[in-house]
Amino acid sequence: MNHFPHGWGRPRDDVYGAYNHAYLQPDGSKQHTQSPIVTGTSVIAVKFKDGVVIAADNLASYGSLARFTDVKRLRRFNSRVVLGFGGDVSDMQHLDRLLSTLSIREDYSSTASESDNAARELNARNLHTYLAKVMYKRRSEFNPLWNAILVVGLDGESQPFLATVDLLGTTFSAPTLATGFGAHLAQPILRRAVPDEAAVAEMTREKAVGVVRECMKVLFYRDARSIDKYSMAVVEKEKEVELVEDEQLEQQSWAFAEGIKGYGTQTV
Amino acid sequence: MTSIGTGYDLSNSVFSPDGRNFQVEYAVKAVENGGTAIGIRCKDGVVLALEKLIHSRLLKKDANKRIATVDRKVGVVSAGLLPDGRHFVSRARDEAAQWRSIYKSPIPTSSLADRMGGYVQAYTLYSSVRPFGVTAIVGGWDSEAELGVDGQVGSGPKVGAGGKREGAKSGGPYLYMIEPSGLYWGYYGAATGKGRQAAKAELEKLNLADGEISLEQGVKEAARIIYVAHEDSKDKEFELEMTWVSSLEGPTKGHHQEVPKALREEAERLAKKSLEPEDEEEEARVEGGDRMEE
Amino acid sequence: MASVFSASIPQEAPGYSFNHLSSGTREHAFNPYTDNGGSTLGISGADFTIFAGDTRSTSGYNINTRYAPKLFKIGGEGPSNENARIVLSVVGFAADGNALKERLDTVVKMYKYQHGKPMTVAACAQRLSHILYSKRFFPYYVHAILGGLDEDGKGALYSYDPVGSYEREQCRAAGSASSLIMPFLDNQVNFKNQYVPGSGVGHALEQRVPEPLPRKDVEQLVKDAFTSATERQIEVGDGLQMMTITKDGIEEVYSPLKKD
Repeated sequence: MNHFPHGWGRPRDDVYGAYNHAYLQPDGSKQHTQSPIVTGTSVIAVKFKDGVVIAADNLASYGSLARFTDVKRLRRFNSRVVLGFGGDVSDMQHLDRLLSTLSIREDYSSTASESDNAARELNARNLHTYLAKVMYKRRSEFNPLWNAILVVGLDGESQPFLATVDLLGTTFSAPTLATGFGAHLAQPILRRAVPDEAAVAEMTREKAVGVVRECMKVLFYRDARSIDKYSMAVVEKEKEVELVEDEQLEQQSWAFAEGIKGYGTQTV
Repeated sequence: MTSIGTGYDLSNSVFSPDGRNFQVEYAVKAVENGGTAIGIRCKDGVVLALEKLIHSRLLKKDANKRIATVDRKVGVVSAGLLPDGRHFVSRARDEAAQWRSIYKSPIPTSSLADRMGGYVQAYTLYSSVRPFGVTAIVGGWDSEAELGVDGQVGSGPKVGAGGKREGAKSGGPYLYMIEPSGLYWGYYGAATGKGRQAAKAELEKLNLADGEISLEQGVKEAARIIYVAHEDSKDKEFELEMTWVSSLEGPTKGHHQEVPKALREEAERLAKKSLEPEDEEEEARVEGGDRMEE
Repeated sequence: MASVFSASIPQEAPGYSFNHLSSGTREHAFNPYTDNGGSTLGISGADFTIFAGDTRSTSGYNINTRYAPKLFKIGGEGPSNENARIVLSVVGFAADGNALKERLDTVVKMYKYQHGKPMTVAACAQRLSHILYSKRFFPYYVHAILGGLDEDGKGALYSYDPVGSYEREQCRAAGSASSLIMPFLDNQVNFKNQYVPGSGVGHALEQRVPEPLPRKDVEQLVKDAFTSATERQIEVGDGLQMMTITKDGIEEVYSPLKKD
C-alpha cells in the first residue's frame, strides 16, 4: 500500500512505469485552450464630483500588428451608462449585442409614463452586476469572454459610479480605474489626482478630463499597442452623455527621441 | 346567419361548400366589437391611435397601455380580443429578436408584417386551434441612415471598395394591417374595430397617398378620427392612446414611443372642439359664406 | 497557405519577428483562478464574535482598489442586510468569494422565509460546508470563516478549507498574512507556549489555561495583528474592516491601515 495519498488511484510506477503527464495534466481537468486574437489595449476612467470620465484609444491590434485603427471601444448604453472594453474585440461585439438585446427587453417592460421612465432605466450599478454575472458564468464554463470592462455612469441614487469586471468575473470599484497597461502607467497618475472618495467630491469635470487626456498621452508614449486616436466619454448628473470618438492626441513631444543613440541604422 | 346549423362552422380550417371559412369570419366579428384602432402613415413617420374603451371606473387612468413596441421602432395596435393581441405582440417580439440574432440588424417593418401574416394564417389551418381574434395594425420606421450591424466597431472605408454609396435612399415610414385570416396589406391609413367605417371615411379625406401630411398633423388627425369614430358609442367612456414613430431627425429619433402628454392633450382638445355643435361656424358662414368649400 | 497565417498568432508574451527558442507547440490554457490577496481573521469571545479583514484587493503587484470588503453580513433584510446575525469572511479568489457569499446569503434568506425563524449559526455552518463540497472538483478558491452567536449566546466561529472541510474554533486567520497572524493568535488567544510561572520544569510545566478574552482586549489584538501584517505582507494594507456580532446585532467599523 502506498502511504502517500498522491499515489492513490494511479497506476503503480513499479508495474506500469512513471505516469505520463502529457495525457492528463497533474493540475486538474483538461482545459479549453484559447487566447484573445484581435485586442484593444487599456481603458481608463476617473470619477469627479457629479460624474465620470472614461477613455480608450481607437486601435485594435492583431498581436503586434496595428490591424484596425478606427475601432470604437466605448459604448453608450443609455443616458447614464457608458462601457469601456479592453481585450478581445469579437467578445466585446458579442457583449454589445447581448446588451442591446437586454436593452430592448428592458424597454418592453417599462412603458409607464415618461416621468418615471428614467428611474426605471437600468443604471450603471445594475449593468455592472449583470456583466459580472455573465463574465463569471462564462469563466466557470471554461469559455471566458476575454475582456476587461469598465462600467461608468450614475447609480440608482444618481451618484457617480465606476467599477470593473474582467474575464474571471473579478469585480472591484475605485475612484480611478485602469485596465491592462493603464493599470501600470495611468493608474498612478490618476490616483495622484484622485486618491480617495473625499477627493472625488473636490474634482471638477474639467480637471478630470485634463488628467485623463494626460494619461492617454503617457499611454501612447509607452504602450506599443496604442494609437494617438482615442474616444472619450463623460457621464454627468442631469446632462446627456457626451461621447467623442475621434479625438487626436495633442501636444505630443518627441524631442527626446533626438538624443537616443544605439538603435537602428544611425551613423554615429 | 345562414351558416348556423349547417355544421361547416364547427371546426376551424373547414371550408363551406361555397368556399367560406366560418371560423375566420367569426373572428372578424370579434374584431368588429373592439375599440377602434387606426394608423396613419405620414410624410416623416407613423401615428397609431386607439379608442381604449373603459369598462370599469376602478381602472387607473392612463395605465394599462394597449399599444406595444416591437424591437425599437415598430408599434403594434390591435382591435379585438385583448389576450390574442398580447400573444400577437409577444410573437412579433420573438420574430424581431430572432431576426436580429441572424442578421445583426433590426427587422424591416415589411418583413415583420410578412412573418406575422404567415403566423396568423397558420391559425386558420388546424382544427386544434382557432384564428386570432384580432386585426393588428403594424406601423414602423425603417432607418434612413446607413446602419452598421449590431456590435459593429468601426465605420469602414470612406471611399472605394466597401465604401459608402453617395445619396443612397432607403428606409421610411411603413404601415400594415393584418387580419384574422392572415391577410395583410400595406396602407396609407388603416382602421379597424367598431368605428372603422367612420374612421376610414375620415382617413380617405386626408389624401394620405400624396405623402404631404406631417407627423404632427397626423397626430391631430388621428385624435380627431378616434373621437369621430367614437360618436356612435357615445354612452361608453374611453381613453385615447396614441403612439408615434418618426425619422431619425424627428421627435422620436426613429424610436416608437408614446405621443408626449402635452401634445396628446392638445390634439384631444382640438378633436373635441371640432365635434362641438358649431355655433361659431354658423356665424362664420353668414359672414364669409365660402367656408363649406374646404 | 495556412502556415503563413498561423506562423505568428499572438501569444501572451511580446511578439518578436524571430522564433521563440522552444520549437514545440505552445498552448495558452485558460486559468480560471487568480489570487486577490489580503487577509482575514475571526475571534470568538464569551458573548461576541469579531471578524476583521483588510480592504486591499490585488492582482500580482498591482493594487486593484483600496476598498474591497471581505466581510459580509449573511441573511439579513434588504440590500444592506439589516438585522443579520451571521457574518461570512472570504479571502482568496474574490470572484468565487462573491459567488459563494451570494449563494449562502440566498440560502439563509430562503430558510427564514420557509421556516419562519432565523437559521442558527451551526446550521448555516454545515450548509456552507455542503456548498463548498458541492464544487469539490472545481472548487471555490477561498478560505472562508463564518461566525455569529450560538444557541446559548456564546461566540461561534467556523473555519473552512476551499472544499468544505470545517471545524469550530476559538480563532482563525486566513489569507496571505495568515502565516503571520495565526501564530500570534495562537499565543495571545489560546495562550500557546504560555505556562504558569513556577509550576515546574520540563514536562511538569503547566500550560496556561485559555479563557475567553474581553472584547476590548480582542479588538486591540485584531488591530495589532493587522498593523503588523501590513508591515510585513505587501498584499495587506489600505484599510481594516471589523465586524462584531453581539446579542444587539452587528457593529461595523472601518479604520485606516498604511497604504504603502
